[in-house]
Amino acid sequence: MTPQEEVEHLIARVAMGDRAAFTSLYDRTSAKLFGVCLRVLNDRAEAEEVLQEVFVTVWNKADSYKVNGYSPMTWLITITRNRAVDRRRVLKRPPAPIETADLMPDSKPGPEASAVAASDARHIRACMDELPRARAHLVRRAYLDGDSYADLAEATGVNLNTIRTWLRRSLIALRECLSR
Amino acid sequence: MTDLTTPPRGPEDDDPRALAAEYALGLLTEEERTAFEARMDAEPDLRAEVASWQEHFATLVIDDIEEVAPSAQLKTRLDAKLFSSREPSFWQQIWPYGLGGIAAALVLWAAITFGVVTPEEDALRADLVAELAPTPDGDGLSLRAEVDTTLGAVQVIRATGAPPEGRVFELWLIAGDAAPVSLGLLDEDASTIIDLPENLLALLPGALLAISDEPPGGSPTGAPTGAVRAAGPLTST
Repeated sequence: MTPQEEVEHLIARVAMGDRAAFTSLYDRTSAKLFGVCLRVLNDRAEAEEVLQEVFVTVWNKADSYKVNGYSPMTWLITITRNRAVDRRRVLKRPPAPIETADLMPDSKPGPEASAVAASDARHIRACMDELPRARAHLVRRAYLDGDSYADLAEATGVNLNTIRTWLRRSLIALRECLSR
Repeated sequence: MTDLTTPPRGPEDDDPRALAAEYALGLLTEEERTAFEARMDAEPDLRAEVASWQEHFATLVIDDIEEVAPSAQLKTRLDAKLFSSREPSFWQQIWPYGLGGIAAALVLWAAITFGVVTPEEDALRADLVAELAPTPDGDGLSLRAEVDTTLGAVQVIRATGAPPEGRVFELWLIAGDAAPVSLGLLDEDASTIIDLPENLLALLPGALLAISDEPPGGSPTGAPTGAVRAAGPLTST
């Protein structure tokens, strides 16, 4: 079994109410998912609160996993990331500032870009490296930190419309790279 | 700073790929999200586009985010929250039926041994049987499964009870700790004969059989999705 199949198998057993499988799934995935919560919330107590909710959802909703067509880690990460972002918005945590120097639209691609891109053009990491670094940074902030357009506008001091245009163009460039 | 909520129109505004990504990132306003969800219902490609973005973004997490162990107490609190309540798990639901089945098998064995009843000659020569006792969801259901391991088939006889309107019964094999394996759907008739894959035959003695109700055509996921209605262990005749 590949690691992916193992996690899938555990989710199937959790769907049957198998507690031992639930513990195995927790042991295997909680550190990664906790990392996601911490990144978004930057607060251990809040992150643990969200992680607990996530696993309650996993226990209750494991039977709906197959229907949505995601791979098992994507399903778990998506639930976790969205919960953490919801929590962050409730708490109204201000976004971490972004250096203006990092935002010059003409920033060159990151250093490893060309080498990585050549070996695996369809991997998101390689495609992120093809973006100007500042744009890639905005995409990471939106996904990994859960920043909204308003947060990004506040963090950069750039107006929201400009941020939105930048991010959308970056997403389309990313998408074109991913489907190459 | 006249209008912060309406973005300027640009070529990227009409690109559904960007919209799908913004949806996946949770960047749309309430109104835009509702409109996008309605559109997704009508356009399966758009839903696939969102799923594809989620896969890519999750890869970013796998690559970029460090694992950090949560405190050990968290799992304890989680277990307390989930399992100290009255909601019994599937395994909790079925274990008493396992015991009941063993008792039934013992009674049957005694009855046969002491000549009270003689097993009838059937099409199948059953060497394993399971009395499937109803769970709290299986009111009025009474089933018996007889396995002929030589022939590699199981016959399920439904004495009483029927699936809910618009649902079918599916038969599952649960061997040890393994996930349930579907053996097939029960016919509407009182008796169904299902061929068993050869690789499962060795797992049968002592394994549990369970019946769940599922949508027509059976469980869409490969695991039981409906209520477990009856269950019991397979014991040697």
